[in-house]
Amino acid sequence: MIHIFDYQDNHYVYDTGSGALHMADRETADYLRAKEGQTVDLSALSPEKIREIEGDIASLVKEELLYKEEVKLYPPKSKYVKALCLHICHDCNLRCRYCFADEGAYHSAREMMSLDTAKRAIDFLIANSGDRKVLEVDFFGGEPLMNLSVIKETVYYAKEEAAKRGKRFLFTTTTNALLLNEETVRFLNEEMENVVLSIDGRKEVHDAVRKTVNGKGSFDAVIDKIKNFVSLRGDKHFYVRGTFTAKNLDFDKDVLFLADQGFDSISMEPVVTDIPDLQIKEGDLPAVKESYDRLCDEYLKRYAEGKGFNFFHFNVDLEGGPCLSKRVSACGAGNEYFSVTPNGDIYPCHQFAGDKDFLMGNVFEGKLDPSIRERFASSCLFTRKGCEDCFAKFICSGGCNANNYHYNRDIDVPYQMTCEMMKKRIECAMHILAQKKLGE
Amino acid sequence: MIKTIAKPMNRKVTGCGECRSTCQSACKTSCTVGNQSCERVTREEKIEKRK
Repeated sequence: MIHIFDYQDNHYVYDTGSGALHMADRETADYLRAKEGQTVDLSALSPEKIREIEGDIASLVKEELLYKEEVKLYPPKSKYVKALCLHICHDCNLRCRYCFADEGAYHSAREMMSLDTAKRAIDFLIANSGDRKVLEVDFFGGEPLMNLSVIKETVYYAKEEAAKRGKRFLFTTTTNALLLNEETVRFLNEEMENVVLSIDGRKEVHDAVRKTVNGKGSFDAVIDKIKNFVSLRGDKHFYVRGTFTAKNLDFDKDVLFLADQGFDSISMEPVVTDIPDLQIKEGDLPAVKESYDRLCDEYLKRYAEGKGFNFFHFNVDLEGGPCLSKRVSACGAGNEYFSVTPNGDIYPCHQFAGDKDFLMGNVFEGKLDPSIRERFASSCLFTRKGCEDCFAKFICSGGCNANNYHYNRDIDVPYQMTCEMMKKRIECAMHILAQKKLGE
Repeated sequence: MIKTIAKPMNRKVTGCGECRSTCQSACKTSCTVGNQSCERVTREEKIEKRK
């Protein structure tokens, strides 16, 4: 299938079968729209022009860059585990209103993961990793730095055990930055492949939802710590990551605020919540899309001025990127990626933690519930409802299992609000890619 | 006029499983596979560059 879209005065044609992106003049775009069954007035096109357009289209079809048949490849079911999210701490030193994890407690007692449990989780991962050489562990919470000593010992233990077996670990930590100090920063910079630092943008936006235990905004307590961390990070990966809600639908201002602080690697995610005043609703979509448009324009402007930054959702790799198998199988939650809670319980991912319907086992037993694993392993792009006719399918892979379940009680039924935002971001990303290419 | 802006390279490998779990790329809510790289191809390109 093809997707024809306009961005300002530019007309783009994306071919889902080949993954190719083309830029067209208005006449060609209109001709293709008519060919797709859309109502378009082509009366102004002369016979010569139509012949020219048809010739161009025929050339691209011959090169398999337009109307290429999509390959319906069901991904192989992985037998191995490649990644764990360790809930190193089910407690938090913030009380963010929108927290999906019940302000860190995950709807149960506030508790820390013991070193023994963390070591068993590492053993479980290594034992189930087959011939995979690179394994991933994400230290997550609550606020993981509240249990720093266990993180440190777990890292050292994992590296030691991996070395014995010719494997290697990549570690990630997600933190609210409140506990960053000289020692912690040094450790994270030495050992973490990636660090995700949570900050929502402008002070008033951040403080409205990210509050301390005493109910005060946390912006002033974290901003300088994040700046210091980033200044010492060198060329290693990090993301400052914000959440936008119905209260800041102009979140482009927050992304740009973060860029203005010197953070050149930024992610901004729509909130996952059913709290009425924070939840993004259908009526908010036009404002969200306008925000992405404004961000896209400013992103390109700054790029042209040599002041570019990396915004996670505006990266789309149409020339490289993952293989078809990955594009179809998505994140791997519940199949090759799992989360482990402080008591060692295993869930498909962090967003299912605490939901007993999705309890898959425990690291001390070392087994995974075969029926839940099969449910997740069997789910792929081609089992998702409504994805077949969507141009974004090979880029988004059918959305997030947890989001789908949270809103529709079915991992195979995508949440349409997320779909709409995803499609908008992909169009922005394609426009950015094209403008960068044209400027080369 | 229709001009090709980007087309996928010929993929040498598919389904090797070396790629990272997507959610740990940057965020914890919006998995986007399309902005991930193929680990094996990236590694092979680095080796090629070193030669």
